[in-house]
Parts: sequence; C-alpha cells; structure tokens
Amino acid sequence: MAPSKKKHASSQPCIIPGGFTVLPLQFSSDSVAQHSLYVKEHRVRAERSSHRPLDRTLFVLNIPPYCSEDVVKDLFSQFGCVESVELRDHPGTFWESGPRLSKVFKPVAKQGFKVGYIVFQNSSSITAAKSHPHDVPLVVCTEQRPVRTGVQKWIQQYRQSFINPDKLQQIVDSFMTDYDKRKEEDAERQRKEIEQQQEDEEGWVKVTRGPKGTKARPHSEAANKRTLHKEFRKKKRKELMNFYTWQHRNTQKEHIAELRKKFEEDKQRIALLRAQRKFRPY
Amino acid sequence: MIPSDSSQKEDEAPIKAKRSKPEEEEEEKEEDVVFHPVKLSRSDLYRPPSAEELNQLKEAESLFHCSLLKMQMEELLKEVALSERRKQRIDSFILTVTELLQAVPESPEVEVSDLSWLSGAVKVPFLLVPKATKGKFHMAPPASVDLIGSYPLGTCTKPRIMVDLAVTIPADVLHPKDVVNQRYPRKRALYLAGMAEYLASSSDIGTMRYSCLHGNRLRPVLLLTPPGKDSSSFTVCVHVCPPPGFFKPNRFHPQRNNIRTEWYTGLQSSLGEPPTPHYNSSVLGDLLPRAHLQFLSAVSSQCSAFADGVALLKVWLRQRELDQGTGCFSGFLASMLLAYLLTTHRISNTMTAYQLLRNSLNFLASTDLTVNPSLAEFHSAFQVVFVDPSGHLNMCADMTACTYKQLQHEASVSMQFWDNPTVDGFHSLLMTPKPMIRTSDHVFQLCELVKLQSSCKKLNLLSELMDHSGNYVHTALPFILSLLQRGLGQRIHLLTHSLSPAPEWSVESDAPKHKAQPPLSFGLLLRPELAASALERGPPADSPKAAEFRQLWGSRSELRRFQDGAITEAVLWDGESMCQKQLVPKQIITHLLQLYVLHFIGIVPSTGEEESLLVVQSYDDLSRKLWRLEGLPLSITAVQGAHPALRYTQVFPPVPLKLDYSFFDREKTSRSLVPKENKPCPAYITPITVICHMEGSGKWPHDRLAIRHIRAAFNIRLGELLKKHHNYTCRSCPTHLDVWKDGLVFRIQVAYHREPQVLRESVNAEGLLVVRDNEEAQALEMETIHKPLLTSTLHGLQQQHPCFGAVCRLAKRWLGAQLFSDDITEDTADLLVASLFLQPAPFTPPGESLPVMFIATPKDKTLSMWTKRAPSVQMLQRVVMLAAESLKVLEHQLMDGSQIQDVRVVMRPPLDAYDVLIHLYPKQVPLLSQAVDPPAVTFSRGVMTSGVALSGGVMPVIDYNPVSLYLAELQEAFGDLALFFCDPYGGTVIAVLWKPKAFIPVPFKTSQVSARRVEVTGEEANTFPNVEAILEDFRVMGKDMVKSVEARTEKWSF
Repeated sequence: MAPSKKKHASSQPCIIPGGFTVLPLQFSSDSVAQHSLYVKEHRVRAERSSHRPLDRTLFVLNIPPYCSEDVVKDLFSQFGCVESVELRDHPGTFWESGPRLSKVFKPVAKQGFKVGYIVFQNSSSITAAKSHPHDVPLVVCTEQRPVRTGVQKWIQQYRQSFINPDKLQQIVDSFMTDYDKRKEEDAERQRKEIEQQQEDEEGWVKVTRGPKGTKARPHSEAANKRTLHKEFRKKKRKELMNFYTWQHRNTQKEHIAELRKKFEEDKQRIALLRAQRKFRPY
Repeated sequence: MIPSDSSQKEDEAPIKAKRSKPEEEEEEKEEDVVFHPVKLSRSDLYRPPSAEELNQLKEAESLFHCSLLKMQMEELLKEVALSERRKQRIDSFILTVTELLQAVPESPEVEVSDLSWLSGAVKVPFLLVPKATKGKFHMAPPASVDLIGSYPLGTCTKPRIMVDLAVTIPADVLHPKDVVNQRYPRKRALYLAGMAEYLASSSDIGTMRYSCLHGNRLRPVLLLTPPGKDSSSFTVCVHVCPPPGFFKPNRFHPQRNNIRTEWYTGLQSSLGEPPTPHYNSSVLGDLLPRAHLQFLSAVSSQCSAFADGVALLKVWLRQRELDQGTGCFSGFLASMLLAYLLTTHRISNTMTAYQLLRNSLNFLASTDLTVNPSLAEFHSAFQVVFVDPSGHLNMCADMTACTYKQLQHEASVSMQFWDNPTVDGFHSLLMTPKPMIRTSDHVFQLCELVKLQSSCKKLNLLSELMDHSGNYVHTALPFILSLLQRGLGQRIHLLTHSLSPAPEWSVESDAPKHKAQPPLSFGLLLRPELAASALERGPPADSPKAAEFRQLWGSRSELRRFQDGAITEAVLWDGESMCQKQLVPKQIITHLLQLYVLHFIGIVPSTGEEESLLVVQSYDDLSRKLWRLEGLPLSITAVQGAHPALRYTQVFPPVPLKLDYSFFDREKTSRSLVPKENKPCPAYITPITVICHMEGSGKWPHDRLAIRHIRAAFNIRLGELLKKHHNYTCRSCPTHLDVWKDGLVFRIQVAYHREPQVLRESVNAEGLLVVRDNEEAQALEMETIHKPLLTSTLHGLQQQHPCFGAVCRLAKRWLGAQLFSDDITEDTADLLVASLFLQPAPFTPPGESLPVMFIATPKDKTLSMWTKRAPSVQMLQRVVMLAAESLKVLEHQLMDGSQIQDVRVVMRPPLDAYDVLIHLYPKQVPLLSQAVDPPAVTFSRGVMTSGVALSGGVMPVIDYNPVSLYLAELQEAFGDLALFFCDPYGGTVIAVLWKPKAFIPVPFKTSQVSARRVEVTGEEANTFPNVEAILEDFRVMGKDMVKSVEARTEKWSF
C-alpha cells in the first residue's frame, strides 16, 4: 500500500481523477495499514432535498464498518461544525417513506463499508475537508473517543438488545393508534368519494375523472387474469377437435413428429453423455 | 468366463492413471458443451414415415421407458466391447503361444513325486499334501491347443480381458485310474510347470504367473501376457485338460469317492469312504470346457443378442462384486444361465439384449436354486445346484447359499427399481458400483484364518476337509455362515460374505498356503425394527426345541418367565441405551464365534438419541401449555417445531444446562445475564425455534408494518401469560419470544398465515392490486410454513427409519468439519440424506450409519427452494471431490483391519487451499468441546456440572456466539472480496479465500470502492483491494478473539 504519492509535496491534498480527494484513515495511532476515504462535495442535478443542501453536503466513500454515525460526525468535526451525518450502503437519492418507525422495529442495518453524506453548518468546511493533507491520517479510535470492536462490541450489542416489555408495549400502542387514525382518515375519504357518486335528491350523479369511479373493472390483477382465462376456456370447449378426417390425420402426424423429436433429442443427449465418457461402467 | 485375478487389477491401475489425465482435461472442456435443444426442420418432422422407422419408434416407445434407456445400453455395450485392433493383437499373440506350446520337448519318464526333472527356476503350482502319490509322468507336446471360453464365443468384455487357452495333455501321460487320490490334478500341475519352464526361455512372452481357477487349488492355470507395452492390455490364461472322454463321467457322481481316507490321512477308515463331491466336480470341470463351448456357440448362433445380453449381465454382476473369487457367479455361469433360459424357451431367440437381461434377472429373483427336489443327489452334496447340459457337472459347486441369496436379493432389488420411472434405472442398474462396505449395515472381518484349521477339527469336518483337498477356509465357511444365520435369525435380511479372490503368484515361488488369503469379510443387512432388540426369546422350556436352543447359545441361555406367563428359554443382551442396542448383533456374533479370533469392525456409535428425545419431550410439554393458555385476544391454531433438534437431526442436540450466576454480569432492568468481558465466552445456548400460528381474524390489520407491531404485542402477551401461569422466564423481543424452560431455550415466533400474502400485495399507480413475489415474502414463508413442514415430515421419516437422525448428524458434522456448512445448509443436508433413504436404488435403505458419506451426490439445483442460495457450482464440485476422497479413506480404513479405526481422519479439512487463516482464541469459541480434535485445555463457561436444570430464575445468555457474529460481520464487510469458511462446531480457524475476480483492477466507480485503494496512472484511476488494511481490519473487528492472522499466499502482490 502506498498511501503517499511521491510527486506531491507533503501537506498537499491528494486529488484523483474524478475530483475525489483521498483522506487516509487508520483505526488507531499504532495501526500499520490505512484505508482511504474518498470525499467530494455532493452535487446531483436531480435532487432537491432539504436533507442534503447542495453547498454544505460532503459526499464520502469507503467508510469502514467500525465507524458509526457518531464516530464519523466526530472525525469530521475538525473541519467545521457538523449538522448531520447519514450513512448508507450505496450512494443514491434520499428516500423516506412510510410512517416513522421506532428503532427496535427497523430492519437490522448491514455492517459493511458505507457511503456517507455529511452536512456541515458552513460551506467553508467542505473546502477545508477537501484540502486536508494526504499524509495526516484521520484516527478512528483515540483515547478521548474509544471505539469498541470485537468481543467488547458484541457484549455491548447483546446488552442493548434487551427491551423492557412495557416500553415495547408503549411503542406498539402508539404505532397502532397512529395506524388506526390513518386508517380512519382513509375510510373517511373513501366514504366521501362514494357519497359524491350517489344520486342526489334530483337524480343527478356527479361524474368525476379518476381511478376510483370505474366500477366494472376488476380491482386486482389476479381477477383480471381469471376473467380472461374463463373466456378462453369457454371458447375452447365449443371447438371440436377430432371431427373431420383432416383433423384426425393431423393428430397422427403430430404424434409421429413428437416421437421423432423425442428420439432426436435423446440421441443428442446420448452424444453429449458419450462426450463426457459417462458410459464407462468401472 | 474365466475368472480374472487380482494381479490383473494391479495391472489395470497404471492404465487408469494414464487415462485419467485426458479425461480430466476433457471434463474441463465439457463445461462448455451445453445441451442445445434439437432443431428439426418442419419438413424433417412431417415427412411421411417409412415402415422401418415406424417400427423403430414404436419399439422404443413400447419396450423401454424411453428410447434414452435403449441408447444408453447400446453405448455401454460399445464401451465394454473389444476393439478390432485389440482382437488382432490377441489373435497374433495366441498364434505365437500355440506354436511355442506345440514345440514343448519330450522328457524321460519319472515317478510323479520325483521333481528333479524340473530345473529349480520353476516351481510346481500345487500344495503337495500328502507328499507321495503313485504314477509315472513325462513331458510331451500337447495333443492339441484350442481357444475356449468367452473369447471365441464373442462374450469377452473389457476391462480385464482374459483369453482362455486349453492345452490337452497327450493320452499317454495319463492313466484312466489317475482320477483317484489327486493323481490327475498333480500331473496336470506338473504339466503346467513343464510348459512354464519351457516358455520361460522364450522372449515372446511378457510376464508369466500362476493362478488357479476361481481359487480352486486343484485347477492351477498359467497367466501369460504379451511382451512390451501391450503387456497390460490382455492376459492369456492357459488351462490344462485331459483328452476329451478320457475319464468316464459317471465316476464323478457327487456320491462317489475318489480320495481314499487311508491315503489322505494315513489312517484306516472304519466307516467306509465318504463321498468327495467337490473334488469330483473340479476334475469333471476340466473334462467339459470344449463341450460347453460347442453348446454355447450353438445357442449363440440362434440368438443374435446373446453376446450383448451376456455382456450386460456381466457388467451387472461386476458392479455388485459377484463375478470373481471362490464361489462367484462368473461370466461363464452368466452365459450358461442365458443359454439355459433360451433352450428351455423361457425367452425367445428374437429378444433384444435389454429383454435378455431383464428376463435373466427375473429368473434369478424368482428361482431358488438352493432347493430342487428333482436333484436331491446334488443337493445333498452342494448348497447351490445348477447342472450343466451334460447332466453330470454342478456348475455352482463352490457357491454358498448366502452368495446365491445375495444374488437373488440384488436381482429382485434391481427389478423393483427398474420400472420406477423416478429413478435413473440405467445408472443404478449398470453404472453404480455396489461394494459390500457400502451395501451392508454392519461389516466384520475374520482375520487369522489359520485358526479355522482347528475349528474344522472342532466341528468334526475331516471328510469335508479331504473333499476340499485341505482348504480349511472353504471347508469351514458354510458352517460359519449357517451358525450366524441361525444366531441372527430374524434380525437380518441378508448375510453376505466376501468371495476370496483367486491367489496369484510368480512361477518361481511355491504355491501360497491357504492362510495367505486376505481376511474374510461378512456383511449384514439388518431389519431395523428387530435388529436392536435386546431379548432373544426361545422356545418354551419343555419343548423339544429347547435343547437345540440351549446348545446354540451355550451359557448365555437362561430360563425366564415372561409377563404372559410363559416360561421359555431366552438370551438377554446388554442394551440400555440406543447406542448399546445397536451393537446387539455384534454381541451375538462375538459370542457365537468365540472359538475364533475375530476382528470386529467398529460401527460409529451414534449416541445422542436420548438428548434429542429429551428436547422433543420438553417441546411437547411447552406446546401443550401454549395450547391451553387463556387470555389471549386470538386463539392459537397450530404450534410447530422448526428446528433440527425437533426432528432428531441436530448434530449436537441441546443439553439442559444449569448456570453458575457468578460467572456473568447482570442486566438489572430485564433480569438477564450478560457475558463478562474478561471471562471466556459463556456456553452457547441454542434457541429452539417454535412457530406459533395465530388464528386468522378480521382484527388483523392488512398492512405489513402494522402486522409486525401486532406480532410484537402478541410476544409480550404470551410472555406475560407464561410467566404468570407457569413461572417461566421469558424475554420478549419485537420479532420473537425466548422462553427459558428445563434448561433449554425455546424461541417462539408468532405467525399469521396471511402475512406473506400481504407482503406480496401492492397497489400500483392505476389503483390496481398487484401481487408480486418478493424475497421478503419468500423468507417469511420459508420460516413459518416450509421449515415446520420439513421438520414434521422428517420427524416422520425418523420414525420409519430409526437411524435417519444419526446419519443426518454425521453427514452434517462432516460438512461442518470440511467447512461447507455455509454452502450446504442444515436443511439441505437433511433433505439429501432423506433422499438417500427414500430413493435408495441401487441400495436398500441403510439400517445403520455407515454409508453416510454418500450424501454428496450432485443434485439438481434448478428449482428447489432449499438450495436456491447455495451451494454454487464450484463449491458443489469441491464437496463432491472431497466426499469421494473421504469415502475412499473411510472404506479403506474400514476394510483394513490393521489400521486404527479413526473416523476423524475424514473430518480434518485440508487447509492449504486457502489464502488467509484467521486463528481464534479457543477461550472465545463457545462450542470448543464439539471440535473434531478437542483441545486438552477446557475453559469454565459458567455451567454447573451438578444439579438438575430448572425453569424460572434469571434469563441466561442466549444465542451469543462471538464466532458467528464475527463471521457475519466479515461476510457483510468483505463478502464481495472473499469467501469465509469456518467449522461451526468448535472450529478455531476461519479460512479465507480471495475471490479472483475482485483482484482484477477496475476503473474508479463510486459504487465499487469498498475496501479498495486507488492507483493513478496518467488520467486513469484504477482500484485494487487494500489487502493490508483488510488484514488489519480482520484483527480490529475481531478484537480479543483473533489470535493471529496468517496470510499464506501473496496473491495480491501484483
């Protein structure tokens, strides 16, 4: 591993084609090997998310698994005040859906190498990070900030996996009331729509555009298919298959063709097996 | 037709070795050969058929399952047939040998016992006991030299090509009275020695060795091979025969005596001379080969498929190891059998080879040649009778009834699966070798055969010994077999024994003694339901049979009174645990054979049934209690186990534990134990998964997240109720509920049967409800539906085949030890073993745990849900390779009595193929005691050895295994760069294999920079794995557990 490029003078940042700056990172001060973080300002044309303001967000690649969000926040605080850190498995647009989930119900995150989006309070911090000299490594585990790995970490994990049943019940209850509320709102909306389509006192029906109004169409894909299949079968039943002489002759012809085809297939399979010497008994 | 010999086998080896190389290359190429579906043009498919074509198609349709089987057989026949080139070489060599033999010089007449005319270089291939015989002998050129046997008949097959040459002794060397007292056999041996001496000086002969026909010492033969590089391609076997019709056949009637007791023992016989049927038939056998050849060629000329039929039958026999050795069903017998069926019109001349094979197997399966009232004279002398066309010779004279029963068993098994369309009939019929060690449930060996000599005396077999010309092994064998048969009785289906191979020795050395033959192996095929019963109940004490019973069992027989009031003779064997019970047959055999020194092959004792049973009992109790719980908002509809321990296939079944609380830290709020950092890793407690299905109801929400929360609520409620009513310690988590009961932990998962459906449904943009399969739903179905189903199915299988669990566990232990458990999951392994039990062709379902290494046969990986994820093709290949290797080692070890029995040899994985080895501190490996070679040091793991495990109390540390946590972390972080292997049962080494693809430099891409470093050349930036940092990470991530990281290869240094 050659973390330093000899052509650069020391205390110069190392910038590779693609515009990424290489930031060396090592686990502790006595580590012998280093990982490289690749950082760049976050710049995506399509994204208009308030979570990642374009001028203040730093895009970081190759964050080792032992760096949690807190650790990363701490590491990058040397370049300026960090507002938020978001770690993900793959780079991509910000995406959030569904109701807010408690931590215990979230699926377990993968513990691999991550990409990070670091939002600073000041845009000047990005320049500071990008001009960080390549021969001064960031150190993950220091005395002020011990990072647990290995057995210590697993024991801590085990300890944290406990949850008080009462607290769990609380979480469940709050989610379910939330859910019921949403359900009710939905029902309310639907009821209103149906009401709208009913005749009023004078016999008028309000016709609206939109998917909800069409009654005749089935509501699920499976039902669609079923209807089609039923019609196909009905059609088939009406046909007579072996009535005319030409039909009979055709069936026979098909039968022989089928036998021939099978014979030919078997022959090929044998040839293949022979090529593999599958017939030598001992 | 003539037996092949062991030295020929040795000769085969180099050829095989030579061939194996191109084969391997070819196999590598084959992977490129893909099966393309046929494309016949329309005009080809629909052109009018000719009559011949129609016939061919119809035949294929009606005679065979499919035309494939027919073609497969044709191909097989091509493989075993001799090539024209080889035939030419054989013919020319035969010509040379014949010319040489015709020129054997005459020698002056001497006494038979005078061997001085032979130069010392060549010995007589005969055991001269007793030494003296009367008669005169001289060498003279043979009266004729003819080809006999399979070669002129066209039924000679590869491998081990044996060409038989009959040399007729001139009439003036013999005397009509030579039949008596081994005079003819001795003259025959002398004549053979004379020829060997003459041929020794010739340069046209390659090697020259003696052997004897089917191990019969009275019929020595001379084996010649051509000189030069052809020497291993075929063998010429020189027989010596008397002139046709020289002896009168009626002298050899089975009741006649041709060896005088006075001559043989030196004592005057008081009871008259006993008959010598075996001696008679071996002399008679010399007299008839030409007549047999004539008969067979006449039959063969009538039936066009005769040669092919014989060839198929020979292949079938050879795969079952029935075609060589003393008392075998040789190729000659196979052709005689077919000829018999043809001449008696059991089969017609127009049948195909396929039908010939089928009919002969059918005949064998249905006809018992050990009894035939019309041949009583023969049956009084021989166990199996199959008389030749002349009516004088029993061709099965040396065959034991057991061998014939084995033949019948094999034939009927073959017939059974032949018609089964789900089995590959061709493979199991003709391609799969079936040696005794893989066929039998128990195998034991009789070593030190010399002691059989004294047992012959003990059993009073002197006249039989005389009949067998002193071969005490073959004399005693039928008696041992019948003794065992009586003793084991209903416990076994079948008793088989190995056929001792014909000895082979150099012409310069004396004939080997009888004791020189390899140990006799016996195989038992058990009846699983009766084999393990500890009690042998005999006849009532007052019945006349009681004496017989007492005599058989000797001092072990006792009078016992049973619950039904009967007082009978009985024998009780030791059998407290399952493991001991399985060894009851061993006890019986050792007891019966006390007279002899016996080497018994240890059977891997499969303990652990009791532990599994305990788990199942505890589970049943829990399931009952769950059913009875009141106060749940919805009722429970089903409780199903979904863990290997509940189907008896967990390698190390969970053992109830009692904990030493001082060993742990406490988690105050939830009353649980937590591992301490400075102590060794606590004992691993496996959670036993139990699926608890809840009633379907309108109350269930129709939303995936809501269902998840409701399940959590159920977990809490269940926990509360179990605590309240039964005082079990419970720990509820969002996904499951752990219950601490009887020193075991059950993990209850609540399931709702519509949840997978809900996971699949989504509403698309047009408001249409779409059902799409996805991984999440599949995983859930696997957990809650398929796994419990598998568990209950396999539990049923265990009830049918009591040793199923043991086989599974051994198989899985082997897979684990060979570091494959990640690729072949537990369920897959169980299924593989199950398939072995349910579709055993050509084997019968194993009653014991020996053939376990057979599991690794490749299987289809196309649609089975259990093997969708793993194994990959490469891994499967490696598994197959290692399994074959292990099988070889294991069989070798089992058959070679001198080696120490250590099954663990096959459990030690080869580690040299891996790039990096991560050594772990044994202290942190909780399952250390399950290792193949457990270390001497043990660590305290917070478990009390004494005391009964109780429910209640503090929640122990569950499912905490640092090794698997570490492996999972490595897998997630570096899974795309390397493969990680570890023995889950106490392995202290993690083997790492770099993926070669990951080490190809790729251009810098934001999606592919994990654990990589960049190298800039000009305007291009390429990335490589940052190996040094990765190795450092191995250490960092496994802090306090990794002892050392050993990089063994320099693959990454470009």
